[in-house]
Amino acid sequence: MLNRIFGLETEYGLLIHEDHPDHSPTWFAHKIRDHLFHVQRRGVLDLHHRGHDEPPGNGGFLTNAGRIYLDMGHLEYASPECHSLTDIVASDRAGDRLLQQAIEDLGFSDRVSLIKNNIDHETDATFGSHENYLVSRRFPFSRRGMAPLVAFLVTRQIFTGSGRVGSAGPQDAWIQMDRLIIPRVAMGAGAGASLPFQISQRADYIVNDFFEWVQHNRAIVNTRDEPLADPNQYRRIHLLLGDSNMTEFATALKLGTTGLVLQLIEEGHAPHDLEISEPVEALQEISQDQERQWLVQLHSQKTISALDIQEQFLDSAVQHCKGQDEETDWVLTQWEAVLRDLRGDYQKLVGRVDWASKLWLLECYRDAENLDWHAPMLKSLDLEYHNLNQTKGLYYGLLEEGRVPRLTTDTFIQLAMDQAPKNTRAHGRSELVKHLIGSWSGAGFDQAANSERLFPPYVINWSIFQVRDRAPFPMPDPFKTYVEDVRTHLQSVTA
Amino acid sequence: MKHSTMPERREGPVDPMPKSPRPEEGGGPRRPETGSPDKDSLMKRMRKVDPKQAERYRQRTGE
Repeated sequence: MLNRIFGLETEYGLLIHEDHPDHSPTWFAHKIRDHLFHVQRRGVLDLHHRGHDEPPGNGGFLTNAGRIYLDMGHLEYASPECHSLTDIVASDRAGDRLLQQAIEDLGFSDRVSLIKNNIDHETDATFGSHENYLVSRRFPFSRRGMAPLVAFLVTRQIFTGSGRVGSAGPQDAWIQMDRLIIPRVAMGAGAGASLPFQISQRADYIVNDFFEWVQHNRAIVNTRDEPLADPNQYRRIHLLLGDSNMTEFATALKLGTTGLVLQLIEEGHAPHDLEISEPVEALQEISQDQERQWLVQLHSQKTISALDIQEQFLDSAVQHCKGQDEETDWVLTQWEAVLRDLRGDYQKLVGRVDWASKLWLLECYRDAENLDWHAPMLKSLDLEYHNLNQTKGLYYGLLEEGRVPRLTTDTFIQLAMDQAPKNTRAHGRSELVKHLIGSWSGAGFDQAANSERLFPPYVINWSIFQVRDRAPFPMPDPFKTYVEDVRTHLQSVTA
Repeated sequence: MKHSTMPERREGPVDPMPKSPRPEEGGGPRRPETGSPDKDSLMKRMRKVDPKQAERYRQRTGE
């Protein structure tokens, strides 16, 4: 899409199919990571400390220029920088396939399932699906400037949510209500444990509108200023309120509509009379609304539905962005179609919108088995929707039935497992990773990894790398590929 | 107040990866088929699910 770089970070859950397992999910996560880097040689492990929770060997960059690493015991995949929706969808699916294939290669398929969701029904644990959007440094990164973004984000869950059975218990956090800061538990928020079904997985865990941390007090907009690019030119909008999507359609529409709304804000065309009175509460109320009326109150005291808010953003985007490129027009067409269909029977959205697909499956099962919403089996089916084993997962069952529109192909995903997009900085990084795999081959590579941590032969980060005995190679512009310069730089290293 | 968009790209676009197929080629975005999918096949998948797996899914909070 025009002037946008996208990235997705996905944390996966590991479900062990044993009553008394010998190993923890973290043990399996280590095995899977080691298989990817040491056996399949999909990338190069970090040899340096990236941070207090990322010691050497914790993860590394891949030949497709993305990353796989362990985060708080979870396997996590960060996509390479992508300049199109087609690329980001394929790159996201490439991460799923890399990890699932490693499980199959290791012979773990019957023991463990890779689950692409964001919650644990029993422990209330949550883990993220983070979106990244590169914007200009001139983006109005203020409470007032981002009010339209908040209104959009709070309401977009009606087509981006992945849905869940039940709800999370009260979160350990504090909420600002006007001038008062009070414990969230005092609001009774998240107390609807007996809730049958809600449309978002993450809504219960978002307790602030703006905040910089990601593990506590999660916010609608994360305010950490870490552009991973030239800070004089760029800012990275980092969002952690979204759900991991199974349908390619929802993934593309989530990123595409958000990208367009950021453009509307950058260009001063976003609707400015849609400021939501209590956005955090509205986020949860929309998600939990069993009638799916999705009403919110604005600062102006006006009550309006999430659908109407989305339609106002759509109208602005049609007026100001239509015709700028093929992907923009696809987003506008599908955005309009989804909003229109959301006004009718939710079953029209099966295959495109995850919460609708999941709800339909659960309703079919409930009907066939005569179950009420408290049946524990429904939580297990909820998980199974996100199982990345294509012979078992319920999403893949829908796909097999021809019910799910595709935006990419298996061949394209296969390619994205190994190759980076050719029109972003990822291309240059991919060259580097492939060069390093060739340079430190076999036992030599492992030996280097173990013995040279004090003076690592390479250090790779998103916006810079350094190969031993050479000057650092900065890559501050994600729109540049740097590929020729990287090749020249590496040739001089080899020489 | 009007805000500028991103700085101009300094490299022309290169064909990134092979394009996904167009709808008429059997791929690309399209509406799902109308009508009910084969519920029997989906019910078979659902009935194979371990009813206790949600209890077994002991995850830590991440991020």
